[in-house]
Amino acid sequence: MKRTSCSRCTSSVFLKDSLTSNGKIYCEACAVDFLNETKASGQPAIFARNIDPSICALCGKDNTIGDFGFRKKLPLCETCGPKVERWPYPQWLRLSLAGLIILLAASLVHGRSYFHAGRELYLGEKLIKQAKFAEAEAHLKETVRIAPLSDKAVLLLAKAALLTGDVQTASKALQGHNDGNFEDGQSADFLEMKALWDRAIAAVGKINKAAELANQDGREQEAAKLGHEAAQQYPESPMLRYSARELDAAVAFAKKDYDGFLSIEQGSYAQHPDGSTAGGVANAWACKYAMTGDPESKRQAEEFFAKAEQLSQADPELQKEFEEYGPRIRYRIDSRQIITKREYDQKFRSHQKEKAAK
Amino acid sequence: MFFIPGIVITVLTFPGVIVHEAGHLFFCRLFGLQVYDVCFFRFKNPAGYVIHEVSDDFTAQFFVSIGPFISNTVLCVLFCTAAFLPVWELKIADPLAYFFYWLGLSIGMHAFPSTTDLKHLWERAPALAKKGNALAIVSLPLAGILVILNYGRVVWADLGYGILVGVLGPIAIFKALV
Repeated sequence: MKRTSCSRCTSSVFLKDSLTSNGKIYCEACAVDFLNETKASGQPAIFARNIDPSICALCGKDNTIGDFGFRKKLPLCETCGPKVERWPYPQWLRLSLAGLIILLAASLVHGRSYFHAGRELYLGEKLIKQAKFAEAEAHLKETVRIAPLSDKAVLLLAKAALLTGDVQTASKALQGHNDGNFEDGQSADFLEMKALWDRAIAAVGKINKAAELANQDGREQEAAKLGHEAAQQYPESPMLRYSARELDAAVAFAKKDYDGFLSIEQGSYAQHPDGSTAGGVANAWACKYAMTGDPESKRQAEEFFAKAEQLSQADPELQKEFEEYGPRIRYRIDSRQIITKREYDQKFRSHQKEKAAK
Repeated sequence: MFFIPGIVITVLTFPGVIVHEAGHLFFCRLFGLQVYDVCFFRFKNPAGYVIHEVSDDFTAQFFVSIGPFISNTVLCVLFCTAAFLPVWELKIADPLAYFFYWLGLSIGMHAFPSTTDLKHLWERAPALAKKGNALAIVSLPLAGILVILNYGRVVWADLGYGILVGVLGPIAIFKALV
């Protein structure tokens, strides 16, 4: 440890405890006095602490045989020198980092389904903005399958479904989400979906009422009017449009306007060829045949009857429908008698019900 | 606004302090600056520090001062991205996701450089900016904003920043990928 002498009091001090100002060395006590004097004169002195090259600046180790080498501006011992130049990362930090990386990788693998669901969610959201609702619905269904409690996904799915006229999917998604409860009942997304939902449900209510009226003889006109109101209220639904057309067909049937009846049923079949619409065309041709006895009408009725039977097999719901209306059309072709559903049921099915009741 | 002692917040978000100081150390090592002492975490103010030489090289000074802001922000986005979907969008109660979200937010909260870090930049940047030094030009507004945000810590600007980065970062990533 090196010593030096103070330029003011000439006392011997350790170099590390001395300071320098304007090339003069001071002990700590004299440095304070000198500073106070210069402060009073308005130009305070600037001091720098002297460095003892025989003492390590970091750990304070005394080099008894000479000076330590300077690394940049400081003398550092053989232990501290390399440490200061390249301070080591502690072992616990390295291990923590390694642990975090492993955990992050595990989380990414574990969260694959989340990323899939998230991708489908954002894709669905993007498609909704592009008004591609049917495409969006498919993607959002996948998100809701993985995350049925996601407000955003459920609201988007319900919106996409309602905008394609798919009330059933919307209803299923909403009921599967906390029984239809959402975190923010005042959010713009929720209110938008609710407005759509209310409109769709009101329209579905009207079409159900119209279907009830259509089953009552003589109220077909009233039913058709209500059906068209429903279709106009919820124009996104192809099912309501189809139902309204079917109610028009029922009016034509009631008025015995079988050409009008056939024209409406052919229009429905052209737009949506399935077991149900094929059955409608078969029914109309059967009426025409019953009225005119024209063999071409009979041939068409038979052709569409076979088509309806075949197409209905693809869907259990349609098959069930066919089992109900099929025998009535067959009766119409075979007997050339045009009777309503109610008349047919009274004539042929009332005893079946009684049998079933017994 | 309710008051929670700073030390409580610091303890609850301690990983952010460690990552911040590790960031300083990383950039010191990267630019070959001497480091005299490091504290990754302690129950005092400041909760961590790295004492290093003041470099004459502005680039080194810039990265040592601002580096932790960048690295903490990047790590916040990374960890929050891993957890963002189940926590925010999908509402899936996954403990691992919540752990990562806490980690990400903690790291994001401690992104701001200290006023001491910024002081060195603030002192040297104007002269270098006049000479056309790109980093100095960038660092002037950045340091200014960060100084303001540092003072904003009393009104939870640090937590606000963490949440902002931890939510908007992942959203930006996912939207860019889709």
